[in-house]
Amino acid sequence: MTFNPLEQRGIPLDRQLRNWRELNVEPIDPDRCDPYTRCRIITMNGIEVEAILFSHHLARHTADPEIKQQLARSRYVEAQQQKAVNWLLPGVSSVLETTIAYEQVAVDLTAWVARMEPDPYLKQAYQFGVLEDFDHLYRYANLYEMIEHRKAESIVDNLTEVMPGRPTKYHHRDPVDNVRSPYDRATVDPLSKLHALTLVASEQQTMNYYMNTGPLYMEPIARQLYQEIGLIEEEHVTHYESLVDPGETWWEQLVNHEYNECYLYYSFMEQESDPRVKAVWELHLNMELEHLHVACDLMRRHDGREPQEILAPQLPNVLTFEPNKQYLRELLDTQMDLTTLGAGYVREAHERFEKMQEGIHGGEEPPSERVIAEHHEMFGREYRVQTDGEHPDPAMREK
Amino acid sequence: MSQLHTPQAGDDRAVDDDVVGLLMRQHGDIRNLFDEVEASQGDARRDAFRRLVRLLAVHETAEEEVVHPFARRATAGGEGVVEDRLAEERAAKEALAALDGMDTDDPQFLPRLKALRTDVQEHARAEERYEFTHIRRSTDTAGLAAMARAVKAAESMAPTRPHPGVRSGAANMALGPVAAVVDRTRDAVRRALGKAD
Repeated sequence: MTFNPLEQRGIPLDRQLRNWRELNVEPIDPDRCDPYTRCRIITMNGIEVEAILFSHHLARHTADPEIKQQLARSRYVEAQQQKAVNWLLPGVSSVLETTIAYEQVAVDLTAWVARMEPDPYLKQAYQFGVLEDFDHLYRYANLYEMIEHRKAESIVDNLTEVMPGRPTKYHHRDPVDNVRSPYDRATVDPLSKLHALTLVASEQQTMNYYMNTGPLYMEPIARQLYQEIGLIEEEHVTHYESLVDPGETWWEQLVNHEYNECYLYYSFMEQESDPRVKAVWELHLNMELEHLHVACDLMRRHDGREPQEILAPQLPNVLTFEPNKQYLRELLDTQMDLTTLGAGYVREAHERFEKMQEGIHGGEEPPSERVIAEHHEMFGREYRVQTDGEHPDPAMREK
Repeated sequence: MSQLHTPQAGDDRAVDDDVVGLLMRQHGDIRNLFDEVEASQGDARRDAFRRLVRLLAVHETAEEEVVHPFARRATAGGEGVVEDRLAEERAAKEALAALDGMDTDDPQFLPRLKALRTDVQEHARAEERYEFTHIRRSTDTAGLAAMARAVKAAESMAPTRPHPGVRSGAANMALGPVAAVVDRTRDAVRRALGKAD
């Protein structure tokens, strides 16, 4: 039986408020949890943050006080959902440990989306992006061993490999070249809309996290690395958000947001290994079903259209966190040397790219290179997790 | 887990001129040893557990002798922060002493080790967030380096890992139980800081 969120009713909105006791969730055990449980938490936090920010933007463009009130009501519940989800993360984890988990999310979420994406242009955008997050994971993992003497495999647990991707220093492109072409909302597969929205939310959360936590570090190399990768996360938000058709109405976008939340909570409920966390996904799904109905009513009222026209006839296959090692190795073998030019991709370092590189690096090695050099100085080797053999690109093997 | 081995603080090539960085790396070394004890069995577990006990004893004693007194004196509100950390350390030492008398193959050993690990980890993060930040803020580089030297002196007097050419069994015998390690460490630190016993 397939699950159709449009045909389900959830918890009535006026019964969704939680008290302090209900919000006071017990965090996961950082050393013994399923790494993908932590990935699901981080993903849903990003989704809820986007839900809140999107609703605020919509409210700022809304004159009708009654609609403002309706948005405020759903948004407050979403703010509580964000608290209940993100507070599942344990206080004993360091910023860097959570960062490594964020990059594991970026790698395995983007790789899965790339594998499942039906549209070739969108698929290419995800394949391009994932090789960059993959490299960030490797840089942060080396920083982690330097600062905390711990190995990133204690976090990613060999589910995700740690080795160079497209080198971070080449991610600094002219901002113009970060803007992709949008899909056409009238013809695109509804699943593609969900994919784009999920990655926008996820990269936006990563950008926000790095821009706020980076300066908490005192070690110069850590501060600098967060600055560098934080700037790239902004490029990624630009890259993914420009894929979304700007012709979607506000109400259409609201319905897509709520539908995507239903889709992801349902997906994660189906695969969650931690029963306590699974109960959170189930509860939140039942809340989101009502938010979706509210959004659908707003769309009918203001756009005079049926939400069924823009949504999939049934919920797509569940979005799954699982290892993507072979897929990533194929991409490492074939797409390492890509960069963007306008809305497309090229293999040569073109003039605008070179100019940007000169400008930002100022003739020096960037933090992402220095962190590996400093790590090597300290340990006489790099930190990598290559469970499935040598790096596919001989030039990227450890010297 | 990969075959990569992360050396303990002192054995990597870090300059160790900053006591906070050094202690943070030791926090990781302690967690690595907890992992090793949990993942091993029989003699290997006994050996890993001995090394864990020694490292914990040396690390906590060095902190009590070097870092806590400084934080108490040098920072506003330092007194309260240090009292909280000392209470955590006392509890951890009691749990450690209880475990120390236990056979590592005892079915109760792993559950107790897990409880100790959780307490030690929470204590370590609390130090990093509420104490170490103040130390870096209120100390110049010379002060950070001097404290790092004192912590390293403690390490060298009560080695937490076998030195080349010394069989670990023999090193264990020479070191003795937790209390003796604590005493030796304290003496070493006080000498390094130029204090009379």
